[in-house]
Amino acid sequence: MGVTFAGATTSASVGGTPIPDEPDLARLRVERSARLRDAMRGAGVDVLVVLGTSGVHYATGARMPSVDPARATLLRPVAVVLADDPLPHLFTPYPDGACGRLADDHVHPPLFVDLEDIPADAVRTLTELVAPGASVAADETTPALVAALGHRPIGNGAAVLGAARIAKTPDELACLRRAQWINEQAMAHVQPLARPGTRQTELTGALLRRAFELGATGVGIDSIWQVVPESKAAGPWTFHGDVAYPTPTTDRLLRHGDVLWVDSGILYEGYPSDFGRTWIVGADPTPRQQAQFERWWAVMQATLDAVAPGATGGDLCRAARAADPISASEGRRPWLDHFYLVHGLGVDSAEMPLLGTDLGEAFDDSVVLEPGMVLVLEPVIWDDGAGGHRAEDIVVVTDDGWAPLSDHPYAPFRTPDGGA
Amino acid sequence: MTGPGLAALPEGGRVDFTRLRTDRRRRLLAAMAHAGLDVLALGRPANIAFATGARQLWTAGSRPFSPACLVVAADERIHLLATWDEGVPDDIPREQLFGLSWNPGIATAHVAAVPGLAGARRVGADGTSPSWRRLLAEVAPDAEVVDAGPLLAGLRAVKSADEVAAIETACALAEGALEAMAGALAPGVTTRQLLAVHAERLGRLGAPIVPNESVAQATTHGHRSVVDDVPLQHGDLVALSPSASYAGHEGTLARTVPVGGALTPAQADLGAACRSALDAAVGACRAGATGAALLEAWESAGGGPMPGPLVVGVGLGAEQPIVGMGVGADAELRPGMALAVQGWVERDGVGGWLERDVVVVTDGVPRTLTRWPSGDLTPASGLGSGHGASS
Repeated sequence: MGVTFAGATTSASVGGTPIPDEPDLARLRVERSARLRDAMRGAGVDVLVVLGTSGVHYATGARMPSVDPARATLLRPVAVVLADDPLPHLFTPYPDGACGRLADDHVHPPLFVDLEDIPADAVRTLTELVAPGASVAADETTPALVAALGHRPIGNGAAVLGAARIAKTPDELACLRRAQWINEQAMAHVQPLARPGTRQTELTGALLRRAFELGATGVGIDSIWQVVPESKAAGPWTFHGDVAYPTPTTDRLLRHGDVLWVDSGILYEGYPSDFGRTWIVGADPTPRQQAQFERWWAVMQATLDAVAPGATGGDLCRAARAADPISASEGRRPWLDHFYLVHGLGVDSAEMPLLGTDLGEAFDDSVVLEPGMVLVLEPVIWDDGAGGHRAEDIVVVTDDGWAPLSDHPYAPFRTPDGGA
Repeated sequence: MTGPGLAALPEGGRVDFTRLRTDRRRRLLAAMAHAGLDVLALGRPANIAFATGARQLWTAGSRPFSPACLVVAADERIHLLATWDEGVPDDIPREQLFGLSWNPGIATAHVAAVPGLAGARRVGADGTSPSWRRLLAEVAPDAEVVDAGPLLAGLRAVKSADEVAAIETACALAEGALEAMAGALAPGVTTRQLLAVHAERLGRLGAPIVPNESVAQATTHGHRSVVDDVPLQHGDLVALSPSASYAGHEGTLARTVPVGGALTPAQADLGAACRSALDAAVGACRAGATGAALLEAWESAGGGPMPGPLVVGVGLGAEQPIVGMGVGADAELRPGMALAVQGWVERDGVGGWLERDVVVVTDGVPRTLTRWPSGDLTPASGLGSGHGASS
């Protein structure tokens, strides 16, 4: 590892607890459940109904196949969390995925809330869990769910989940680090395969093969191997005039000199990785490309220097902008206009805190970093006429600074300290 | 259709995607008119793919609703959340694209600016959210909002010839992944390693790899929805159920095979029992049949309780109808529906047998899109002897 992580604190502890090498999944579920029920009590919620895949995973720890959105919606597991019961209820088409901690009387047949009518038996089971005067919240609703709950008022369950999830437990951090390690090891295998004549989809297949062999439990997103245009004008038309990214992978054949913005996310026990690097097909960087990387490096380093408990999101964005005067002189920020400088990482691969978005500077200033927050930093340098550089690294805010969760070289680029 | 394949052909290819989109749009606008909808707001990725034909980035898991596509009846224009035009068919001009935003105020302003939304009297949506309700109350205060989920489900269920051709190509890709997994099957291999082989083969075939983890399971100790790291033993039964995507359309099948040898007589009996009950269910897939009739056909041919549905619609991923698991008894089959019909039979001491085919409903005998013999399939025996191979 090069200079990027030289500023990392040596004591990688969160709330006084070190990040374990191996996640303890049983402890993880207990601690998540406690945080979620604390958040429910804080919001005055007695019953939380969770429909979103990642939220169900957070609330229950249940294993479920990672599948495309259509299947994940139609055949979705649903969690029902009661503030006074440490064990969640799970309505699922995948009962074998319910972890051992869930007693049989907490696992129920699926609710099918996306169909017109929920089966009568399932409605009965659901209504038995929800006391007549209970305060109910849900992360999402469907017409059938609203009807099954008797058209009572349903509060904002997404906010409850968000409050619980913003800071991670040490075991969650161990899961994220493991997911990232698997992704990075698999990428080390794939990078030499990115040669002229290879298809983008072949790289995806090779990556997933290696990732599953290394213990990945799922895929979060289709892997991206975007060939970057030399100029914005040569790329797709965009709504905002910035460069288009990411564009979906196809069977496109890679050619000598193609600059690839690589981005992938696999899952480990429901926790995603987020790998981002720039590669060049069959060639070494030109001096201009190496200079782009060095600008990116400076932005990354300056942003990391600003990371500490108590710092604000605005502090990070200002540090990033100050580190790249060229972008500033061109009236742009050193990240993608439609995304962010920083996003969080938890059971969702882009969750709060989102910094540098069109939520605006006041929002960024309102975000105060706290131990356990995970930050994926993704500066982008655009050098119109010669493409650009994009890469990502992941850190966790610790009790006294930050610690890396990613650890991958930048080859074929040379780091300013002489590494790769 | 000149046979499944991914390469472009000089005479225009195998699936006419322009015709496919035009046909869908015609049906969508007719259904909106029939339902009296002025505007249709879509947030489900598969519904957006149906309405627009836009190529989207695959992600795993469900997504919350936000209006990302608006269809306006008056001018027949489709407005789409797409920050760039790559992957967007050119029948949706740039003026009708709007950009991604994290800011609810900006995002709703993009939607509110869609010509025809203000003043709409009846708006259909395939989901809801607090910010969407607020937006409508502000922009179209007189609008009645109706659930458009059933409308889209009904439209998507019946396939055109082009859609069937795309699904059949996806089925052929899935069969390629099945062949790869069968070839890798050996004592000591894990189902997670079979999942790895599945992904690698699809990538080599040039196909996008859609997240789908339930592609292999050892059935010796019952049904498993997720892969694991348990080494397979000689003689284990393994259910291989690959899934593949072609131009956004899903294809799938499932076959059960023994590890490292031939089926035992008890395993062969189990397979024959599953196949014959599944054949009965497939045979019942005729226009006008109800979900209840399919379940009855399965059960009266000896099929028992299932760990999953008997039928799931196939198209832009999983679709309605779903039959089984307590739902779908009233669903009525119509000509052109594409269905994944699957059977599971389990016996103590032997294990479970999973088999799945994709069929298209016609007025007569359904057309089976999947092709692979049932039964004793090992690399050594090639395609094997088969028990009631699919027609």
